[in-house]
Amino acid sequence: MTLNRFMSTGVRRRSVLGGMAAVGAAAAMPRRIRAQETITLRWWSPQSSPEQLAAYETQMRNFEAQHENVQVVFERTSDEGYAPQLAAAFASGDVPNIVTHLPSFAVSDYWSAGLLEPFNDVIDMVGPENYYEGANQIYEIDPGVYAGTGIGNSAANMLWLRTDLMEQAGIDEAPRTWDQLRDAVSRMQGGGIFGAPLPYGRNSMTSLIFIGVIHQAGGQVFSPDLQVAIDSDETRNALEFYRSMREYCPPGATNYSWGESLTAFVSGATATGIYTGRVLINVANQNPGIADYIDCVLYPTVSEDVPAWTFNDFPSVFIPRQASNMDVTKQFAAFLFDPEGYIQQLHAAPGHVLPVLWTISENPEYLDNPIIERYTPQVDLMAAAAAEGYNLGWESQGHQPNVKAGEIINSNVISEMVQRVVLNDENVDQVLSDTSSRLEEIMGS
Amino acid sequence: MATAAHAGHRLERRYARLGVFLIAPTIVVFSLVIVYPLLAAIYLSFFSVYTPTLEGEFTGADNYIRLLTNAAFWNSLITTLIWTVGTLSLQIVFGVGMALLLHQNLWFRSLARSLVLFPYFVSTVVAVLVWRWLFNDLYGAINHGLMQLGIMDMPLDWLGTMPNAMIGVILVGAWKYFPFVVIAVLARLQTIPEHLYEAAKIDGAGPIARFFDVTLPQLRSVLVVIILLRAIWDFKEFDLIYLLTGGGPVTSTQTLSLLVYQEAFALNEMGQAAAYSIGMMLVMLVFMLVYIRRTAREA
Repeated sequence: MTLNRFMSTGVRRRSVLGGMAAVGAAAAMPRRIRAQETITLRWWSPQSSPEQLAAYETQMRNFEAQHENVQVVFERTSDEGYAPQLAAAFASGDVPNIVTHLPSFAVSDYWSAGLLEPFNDVIDMVGPENYYEGANQIYEIDPGVYAGTGIGNSAANMLWLRTDLMEQAGIDEAPRTWDQLRDAVSRMQGGGIFGAPLPYGRNSMTSLIFIGVIHQAGGQVFSPDLQVAIDSDETRNALEFYRSMREYCPPGATNYSWGESLTAFVSGATATGIYTGRVLINVANQNPGIADYIDCVLYPTVSEDVPAWTFNDFPSVFIPRQASNMDVTKQFAAFLFDPEGYIQQLHAAPGHVLPVLWTISENPEYLDNPIIERYTPQVDLMAAAAAEGYNLGWESQGHQPNVKAGEIINSNVISEMVQRVVLNDENVDQVLSDTSSRLEEIMGS
Repeated sequence: MATAAHAGHRLERRYARLGVFLIAPTIVVFSLVIVYPLLAAIYLSFFSVYTPTLEGEFTGADNYIRLLTNAAFWNSLITTLIWTVGTLSLQIVFGVGMALLLHQNLWFRSLARSLVLFPYFVSTVVAVLVWRWLFNDLYGAINHGLMQLGIMDMPLDWLGTMPNAMIGVILVGAWKYFPFVVIAVLARLQTIPEHLYEAAKIDGAGPIARFFDVTLPQLRSVLVVIILLRAIWDFKEFDLIYLLTGGGPVTSTQTLSLLVYQEAFALNEMGQAAAYSIGMMLVMLVFMLVYIRRTAREA
């Protein structure tokens, strides 16, 4: 009865058939005609402090305002976790559209496996003339084709100092050599304050920092033609130095990675630190009482004859080859360098990620920042150091790009070598021989 | 007579077909979620596969030869056994002890029985974060408390050196999983006939004798099942150890699960990782066979 009444309320068979035809036609309509279909872009980055997230939010919303059918979502990864996450993403085909802030050697690793989209179009959109000279050299793994570009520079192994503690200890100058550093930290250690927060954990930070120490000893991990060269007197000196610093580090440094090391200095638990310029904003926010007493210098070397070696992880931008909506993705990648959003992103942690575009470095809006104004000499020093910086993917100007650098870091070969010598007190010759074999195995895989 | 027998056979065949029809969905699901991944892992283990692309070449038994000749697998197997035996022993001791306590007539017994389950229900990530904070050298409550009590002068490195790291991991594992033992043992304790204890008392048995002569024999069957199940679960534990120590220092707490993970996602060698996981499965098969035999005998 009810059904009959419904059938007789004026819904005619012709209307129903008409509606069905309309739905069918809509379903059969070519995709391009439905211009308002929402496109979602996924953005991954391991850099996600609250200030950085706010900057990303600005960049995403500004881009969406210019592209009404585009939605950008941000998804966090981490320095220690990006490799497995991306491996799973690539394997499943469910990749993000854009990935930022990973070290350059990760880019070369993925590029060599054919997993990335060439980045020349994006660099052209940003304007090659706006970059510092040679800024994209590290991404030119195959001649004329760029695997990605830098979203910034970093000087990740700056030696941070507490000038008030130096003064109390009667230290006039920042240490230039390892001997001076050991002397300084031994004099500043005490009263609940440790000398240094060097990492001794089985993780990427220990590997990356110790590669710097090998270079600060005058050595190298690979020769310029990428033969394993870690078994050297310089590496032995580096291990000896690192072992000698253990007594000046907190007991838990055996598990330290970037976060713990940073917090140890910022909180005042250690007299020196080793980190990027993120120290500046963290001190301002978390421990302003020491803000007037912090300074940074290049990390000391074995002697004054050996030049400083700055670890620059060259925070990158790249696009997976399998990413959907490639045209819009490339537009968004270029949009990340739009001054308004890019400067806000750089200001999220002033001195931590340094601009790769000279047009931004000279932009009054970039310079108009209380942290940058307050610590101008330190920021300038970090910028200069980063510009001459290297990492395992590119150990010097004379080195070939090492596309296996990412796997070497993720394998913990280097950090295990440090732990075996420093924590387990194993025979250095045996450890170096084992390490060389493992490196050769990875290079040959 | 022959007609009746024929009709009986037909009925049996019909029942058999119905049985196959009813069990088919289970077999299909089982094949999809267990048999297919297992066969895929065995297949992968004969290839050298680059994880991000899942492309590679056939290498025959190379991955298994490397498994047998490389120290990594055997070292991790020993570490896995130390972890499994250590944490399982503590889980059983704490679990049985707590179950006996909660079986008594205590004030707030119901509340206590609920609270004791808390570690088992809390997320492993949250539990590990809390424990890492407790173990922290600079701000951790454990070091702080021990130094306040004058037991130590300097903070102890709980998770960065051996044997502290293994002890720490075993303790946290025991804390996290002992409630499972409590639940199972407590349930069994409540079914032990009271007259057995009365008879033992009449025979002059004290509390300790009653535990060993009455309670423990009664718990034996449930304890065997608990030990086998928890041994299997602890053997393949990943998240708790990975988050606490990452397998370090060096490879001192790197169990087989962590080794498989590192091979698959850090070194991008999915084929070798598959071979390791097949080796791990064969070891676990021993536990499973004991469990199956045990349950079959009891049934």
